[in-house]
Amino acid sequence: MTIQTKPPAAASVRASNALPDPVAIRLTILDMLYRAKASHLGSSMSVVEMLVAIYGSTRVEKIRDRAPDRSRVIVSKGHCAAATYATMGHFGIIPMALLDTYHTDHSLLAGHVSHAVSGVEHSTGALGHGINVAVGCAIGLRARKVENATALALVGDGEIQEGSVWEALMLASHLKLNNFVALVDNNRISSITDTAKVLDMRPLAQRFAGFGLGVREVDGHDVTAILSAIRELTAGDRPGIIVCNTIKGKGVPFAEDQPIWHYRSLNDELYAEAKAALVAAARRA
Amino acid sequence: MRGQIIDAVFERMARNADVFFLTADMGINLVEKFAEKYPARFLNVGIAEQNLVGVSAGLANLGFRPFAYTISNFVVHRCFEQIRNDIGIHDYPIVLLGTSTGYDNAPLGPTHHIIDDWGALKAIPEIDIYCPSSVSYAGFLVDHLLNTGRPAYVRIPKGAYKTPASTDHVVMLPGGRQDTILVSYGTCAQDCLAAQSRDPALAVLVVNRLRPLDEEKLADALAPYRRIIVVEDHFPSTGLYGSLCEVLVRHSLRGGLHTLAPRDYALDVGTSNAYFHKKHGLDVESILAAAALH
Repeated sequence: MTIQTKPPAAASVRASNALPDPVAIRLTILDMLYRAKASHLGSSMSVVEMLVAIYGSTRVEKIRDRAPDRSRVIVSKGHCAAATYATMGHFGIIPMALLDTYHTDHSLLAGHVSHAVSGVEHSTGALGHGINVAVGCAIGLRARKVENATALALVGDGEIQEGSVWEALMLASHLKLNNFVALVDNNRISSITDTAKVLDMRPLAQRFAGFGLGVREVDGHDVTAILSAIRELTAGDRPGIIVCNTIKGKGVPFAEDQPIWHYRSLNDELYAEAKAALVAAARRA
Repeated sequence: MRGQIIDAVFERMARNADVFFLTADMGINLVEKFAEKYPARFLNVGIAEQNLVGVSAGLANLGFRPFAYTISNFVVHRCFEQIRNDIGIHDYPIVLLGTSTGYDNAPLGPTHHIIDDWGALKAIPEIDIYCPSSVSYAGFLVDHLLNTGRPAYVRIPKGAYKTPASTDHVVMLPGGRQDTILVSYGTCAQDCLAAQSRDPALAVLVVNRLRPLDEEKLADALAPYRRIIVVEDHFPSTGLYGSLCEVLVRHSLRGGLHTLAPRDYALDVGTSNAYFHKKHGLDVESILAAAALH
């Protein structure tokens, strides 16, 4: 199978005003997961626009070059590694060819994000870790007097059941860290069933507001809306959190809103079906 | 020794702009000066130890050298996963300063008995582990930690012990004859030194750095002895006794290795660590009796 997307040349960073096409990224993710017979299709597909907006809000060349004054992107829900690496590839932070090694022997691209991959700030996988590290980065950026850089954490709506997440939010709020923004992938499905059936946290936005955060709630598949929310929040006087309403498995009809696609891998038939759906979506776009 | 270490960190902050001090709301009348003099490099994260470690990792990402302070059991046991993932896997030069060891908090009950802390961290290869046995070593330690730049846990006993007045990781205090040697660290080293003063024939080996062990030096020191008694306020299998079992096997040493250590958690109340040292055979009389018995 070949990747039919048109990615940028290896390690050449895109201009910040030309964001990668989410459908092209989904096609890349699909190929990575199919080749590797890997899981986490659902959560990888739900976060694509969020990742595009997150990296799109930063100076990605600084992330690629490990500049000290770069923004820190922490993918706290580390199981969306395929989406993270694919997005980094489309932004030119890592070479696209590297994606071919996902989930293979001797590769550094494991099923959860790893700082062994250049451009990744922090290895995650156990939930409720990355957001705390991101708050530490925000404190560090402030202590270093770094302007125009933010600490951005991508967390899952199941992940926020971890108590450590709220420790991070309490501190961010107390310190009024307006250089910190968390984005919640509110796909409403956690590990094995609907998030609300496990622990009903609705209305999420009000819970976060009660912790003193600046809150926005947006369509999590609208890059422009997420980008606007990030910019508004970082211009404010307190840490921000964006509830991004998403569809788990977005773009792959048989996987949308289906908890089992946290675990299942693609066979030939389902891969072809998924690819046809994504290619059709690309044509419509 | 807590004061020596905290003061040393405070002093180094004047010279090293990367040193960052964090506390999980512990250290009354001790940490306030950090907030006053270095407000940008001091942080009380609140009673939130998981966040203490995670935030420290974020600061390390920015190039800071975090010293994270709270009571030993709070940071080690609650934060094992954070220490493994956010410090160990990343090899971040974060120093966990854990105050209290063994039965320092004796009457506070078993949740505050720190007898299984460093053994838990021994399972994480990246974390260096120290337990200063004297103010001399405590005073030396902060510079050593800054120089090594390694992830570390410092188990800080209550008490300001003047002996052994050495900054060596391993301190040999020979006895009158090469027969029996006591091996210990932290507060229990004092019991061993007191036993030696009663029976000068006993040798004492004090180990200030518990990992990495100075294995060659230890093997050379222990080789002549027929009886090696490890005295520690920590469970033996995961403590120094366990570590020395490996050393003796690796170096084909034939000395008999014996342990004086707690074996389980205590629900009975003791008002000082003397109560529990006596109960578990860590007091001077028990040490002398064990030395005579073996």
